[in-house]
Amino acid sequence: MSSKANLDVLSRQVAYSGEGISVKSLETDIQKERTIQDNKVEELKVLRERNVNIQNAMAEELKKLRKFSDYLNGTATNSGFWAGFKEVLSYIPGLGSMSMSQRSIEELLKAQYQISARRVKEAAEYVDTLKQSEQDLYKEIDRINVRIVEMAKNEREALNYVLELKKLQEQLEAEEQAVEAGSVEQRDIQASVDKVRAKLAEHSTNVQLYGSAEERYARLKENTRKLADTIRNLAQDIQQYTTASSIKLDMASAQIQAIGRAADASTVMLEMKRSLDVMTESMNVTTQFVSDTQMFFRSNLDTFIQELDTFDEKTSTVLEDNLRKSKEIEDARIQAAIDKAVKRAGAPASPASPAAS
Amino acid sequence: MTVVALHTQALVLPEAATYLDLLGRSLHAARLSNAFPERRPLQHSLETLAESLRLGLHGELYVDSRAGLPNLASLTRALTDKSVARESLARMGDRAALEARAGEAEVFARLAAKHGYYEKLQDRELAPVDHQRVLLRRHDPASGTAAFRIELTKLDASGVYVRLQIELTQVSSLWRRKVIDLDKDGETAAASEAFRAMVYRCADLDAEALFMRLHGAEGVSVERVQRGVIGPVLFAVPIGSGVQVARTAEAGDDALGREWHAWSVGAGAAEHERPELLAAFATDSAALDIRDERSNDPISPLLRDRLRDQEQARYRALRERYPFKVFKDRKFVATPGLKAVAHATCAAAGTKNMIYDLQYR
Repeated sequence: MSSKANLDVLSRQVAYSGEGISVKSLETDIQKERTIQDNKVEELKVLRERNVNIQNAMAEELKKLRKFSDYLNGTATNSGFWAGFKEVLSYIPGLGSMSMSQRSIEELLKAQYQISARRVKEAAEYVDTLKQSEQDLYKEIDRINVRIVEMAKNEREALNYVLELKKLQEQLEAEEQAVEAGSVEQRDIQASVDKVRAKLAEHSTNVQLYGSAEERYARLKENTRKLADTIRNLAQDIQQYTTASSIKLDMASAQIQAIGRAADASTVMLEMKRSLDVMTESMNVTTQFVSDTQMFFRSNLDTFIQELDTFDEKTSTVLEDNLRKSKEIEDARIQAAIDKAVKRAGAPASPASPAAS
Repeated sequence: MTVVALHTQALVLPEAATYLDLLGRSLHAARLSNAFPERRPLQHSLETLAESLRLGLHGELYVDSRAGLPNLASLTRALTDKSVARESLARMGDRAALEARAGEAEVFARLAAKHGYYEKLQDRELAPVDHQRVLLRRHDPASGTAAFRIELTKLDASGVYVRLQIELTQVSSLWRRKVIDLDKDGETAAASEAFRAMVYRCADLDAEALFMRLHGAEGVSVERVQRGVIGPVLFAVPIGSGVQVARTAEAGDDALGREWHAWSVGAGAAEHERPELLAAFATDSAALDIRDERSNDPISPLLRDRLRDQEQARYRALRERYPFKVFKDRKFVATPGLKAVAHATCAAAGTKNMIYDLQYR
């Protein structure tokens, strides 16, 4: 070879980390990450269903307690106190059509207490599931960060190589000017220029792919973080509500038993009403939580799913567009990559940043 | 001591674990017959509560401050945990996977522990808060008579844990409302709601009063009423470095309670190192086959011995209508420091009671 330019650049292996990149492999990788997100969203949807069921059950329990309480209070009697009282007794589990004298109030209150405790516990069990999901998502963010850094490094490698190739290309073109047209030397230089162009095409594609991947992983991370934040907020809310509710129940147990027994002995209506009110209050707190959670799900989860769908559409469009463009205007892309590399090389040195592109 | 609500005191670790350990071992030491609530389910409940505290799933143990036993909130907590265990396990996934991630975040270590807790709990039989059943003992279709045993286990509103057994015979007739219904095969029985409620409401009456209340009602002939009561339990457990002691906060104002109070301000006041516990287990029977009427229970004499002279004649007339006799007994399990309290209580009443040892760990 007669060229004075350093042609070793052409045979140098560029040190990309990872398994190499193509439009298809990038699509597959992003899809994998999206599947993880989708699974978490699915878990939230299941929780939403459970939430609805618990809310319905609690609404029923509250209805019974309130009716019971109202009649004891004398505020809801249309056809006489006892008629009303018998009616509301039919709301209490297992009481059916029996009259009051046929069932122990202490036993009824204890049964209702256990139902209330169960509902609160069911709601509280959400917390750990959500915390587990939150941790899964943080782990996912770590993984995505590793990918982002990897993509940024690879883009930098590609850019540096494109610059070297450009320099080589310029040197070869200058040399070509200096040799006789049609000579063996000129043909030899032209062959090298073609190799440079082929390499430029390959690595400028990499510049774009790694740059695009970095950006898309960053957006994916942002969505994952939003999802993790949503889940964390939800878990905190549930914990607050159910803790408050549990405390009320824990503190009321002896009262409930005492009043139940007193009611069995002498039907102490006023005290019994207070006892019921404690349970109603506890159920109220939990129902309020479930109700708020429903709103939370509606205003966050659905919007979130929509955003993710839009994200999917956008990324697909970007990918398709990239593919089309890369075929149609290869030269323009090479030029763009070179411009970017030149600009980077000309910029003042900055500390290495993982997300730098 | 911390009384946090009506008749409710709260214990935290480590004293809660000490208390539960002593109480669990006292049940074993008491050699409970079937007159008492079943020991194993109650022990399972105590173990479950201890485990939930150890794992940090619950922060406090609530104890009835009069009876010294875990209260409705505590027993319900164990039952509620069991009721959600299966579903929660399905949601948690594999335990090994949770353990593998234990170092990653606190939630995984806690979930792995909770997984183990729920796994054990789902097949455990726990002490019920209320449980009533009717067992058919004999059935003679020809005469229309059927003998039943009604069993009620109940966490009483007074805080003690009670098992009530009533053996009775019912003669069915067309015009009489039956208190117990047999199915068509004559194999299973269920008490009518009214009768069931009456038994439930009267569970805190003594056997004698209950016998009279039920006998003769709606064609029923009562043969035996037996109550087995776990409690009260008196405990003194050092807190932390032992400067303070958590004690049964509202012990009863009976002979045992008074001896306990005397001990608490006397010999027991200086005891800040060793945990002490004294548990009482009483039986109270009214039955046709009891020969001599007497009470060997130092804190529950016979009714006749408690009545004033002017009430005695009326009581005797009432009792003549019923052929049963009453026998009461009580045994104790006590750590060495509290054996003196049990001895003093028995000596004051002139009763001779079993007092089993409960050793310190």
